[in-house]
Amino acid sequence: MPGCRVEVCSDPFDPWQRLALWSGDAAAAAIFIGRVRPTTMDGRPLDALELEHFPGLCERQLTAMAQSLQQEHRVGPILVLHRVGMLAPGEPIVLVAVQADRRGAAQRCSAALLEQLKHQSPFWKREWCAGQGTWLAANTPL
Amino acid sequence: MDAVLKVLLFASLRERAGWAERSLPFTPGVSTAREVWNKLDLGPLEGISVAVNQELVGANQPLQAGDELAFLPPFTGG
Repeated sequence: MPGCRVEVCSDPFDPWQRLALWSGDAAAAAIFIGRVRPTTMDGRPLDALELEHFPGLCERQLTAMAQSLQQEHRVGPILVLHRVGMLAPGEPIVLVAVQADRRGAAQRCSAALLEQLKHQSPFWKREWCAGQGTWLAANTPL
Repeated sequence: MDAVLKVLLFASLRERAGWAERSLPFTPGVSTAREVWNKLDLGPLEGISVAVNQELVGANQPLQAGDELAFLPPFTGG
């Protein structure tokens, strides 16, 4: 099976630097970089977004998701980086990159993996606004 | 093996309870996550996921002495 690298990062990462170290020579690569938006779910200015995870269980769940989609879409190496901790608006929160022989497989796998990450991955998010933290109950729409 | 259970709470559940980790004596009669939860007096179990030794399991799975039992509030996603 091609490589499937999944990291949950407590410290900020530079997605372009990480991609430069990871990228191979596949014919197609689909890349998604997500950053923290500057507003809360109800439209107020966001001070910070806090992400909490259950170390061990979280990494295994994310790896299982990525490996399952890697097989389903018959793609090559996958890279997933996901932040936890306290993030400022504009900071990279997620990087998903998929290499494949065809653009369709790379893009479909990348999109499917991102949606699974957004809706099924074991993270808890709390928005900080005006000194108050609010645990979120749902994620942003597509 | 220690005759205890390690119980972990996360995120909003941890803050509601006011604690993150407890060691509880393993009682042979209190042998599932649901029964442990009921003794913690933290409200209904609906919507809470259960992990035993870092694997997601059903709330009625039998527990063993020394298990790490985690109660997880609904995931928000990444």
